[in-house]
Amino acid sequence: MGNAANPKDEVNAEVSDRDGALAPGPDAANGRQRYERLVGEHLDGLYRVARRLTRNQATAEDLVQEAMLKAWRSFDTFREGTNARAWLHRILMNAYIDQYRRHARTPELLQDEIGDAYLSAGAREGPALSAEGNPEAHVLDRMMDDEVRESLDALPVGFRAAVVLVDVEGFSYKETAEILGVPVGTVMSRLYRGRRALKRRLAEFARDRHLVGGAQA
Amino acid sequence: MNCTEAVEKLWQYLDRELDSDTVAEIERHLQECRDCFSKAEFERHLRLILRRSCGCEQAPPELRARLHRLLGMF
Repeated sequence: MGNAANPKDEVNAEVSDRDGALAPGPDAANGRQRYERLVGEHLDGLYRVARRLTRNQATAEDLVQEAMLKAWRSFDTFREGTNARAWLHRILMNAYIDQYRRHARTPELLQDEIGDAYLSAGAREGPALSAEGNPEAHVLDRMMDDEVRESLDALPVGFRAAVVLVDVEGFSYKETAEILGVPVGTVMSRLYRGRRALKRRLAEFARDRHLVGGAQA
Repeated sequence: MNCTEAVEKLWQYLDRELDSDTVAEIERHLQECRDCFSKAEFERHLRLILRRSCGCEQAPPELRARLHRLLGMF
């Protein structure tokens, strides 16, 4: 009760506040339709990003719900012709960071040092799946979808977010920088390090499943 | 363009973040250099695999329905 620790409570409270405040006129109904169409169009992508950020289906659904209600509240500031997809993803990312803070966990996303520590902990020199190590690119084809997702989910969230936005969702560096609220150079460095770490994880899976030989001594 | 420069710009090339002159230079190098070409192919393939594994997930229908219901309350 009261303090809205649960995002759903907060959202529901806001819904009933708004609901009682003012009956929607024809403009509001029109705006809502436009907004629903917009969200409907981008919902799969938003859900995929949320799923990789939270690594949990129920949490991802709650995050998308919370973010889309937040976006609706500021939809009147949204101007037609601006990049709606990036705008919605930016709101999703901010909601994720807020949620992170609410649960008093380390705001990993904001700290590149964590990624540095992660990479320097012996992993930097580890063998990675690469064209040199495995000329047969079809090793990749034999990786299970679960293994690929698990490898991605194992990355620090800052790297994971950059890789998902660029490699899976196809956002440009500039759009990704706007969504993450960091400079383009930071996006590039997170991508570089995230992809390297990902290839290393995939190499581990490939070795465990004997898809490739062990690391050359 | 030599191999070091090509490798350095490879991801930007694959991410379509380079200007057309640099794209032409890197493509010329990839045509001539088998090593860099196979690196590029590998990275391209890696992204296809990522998209295959993560890019086809869809929002659950319940989430769609829930959002529709919540937005309908405004």
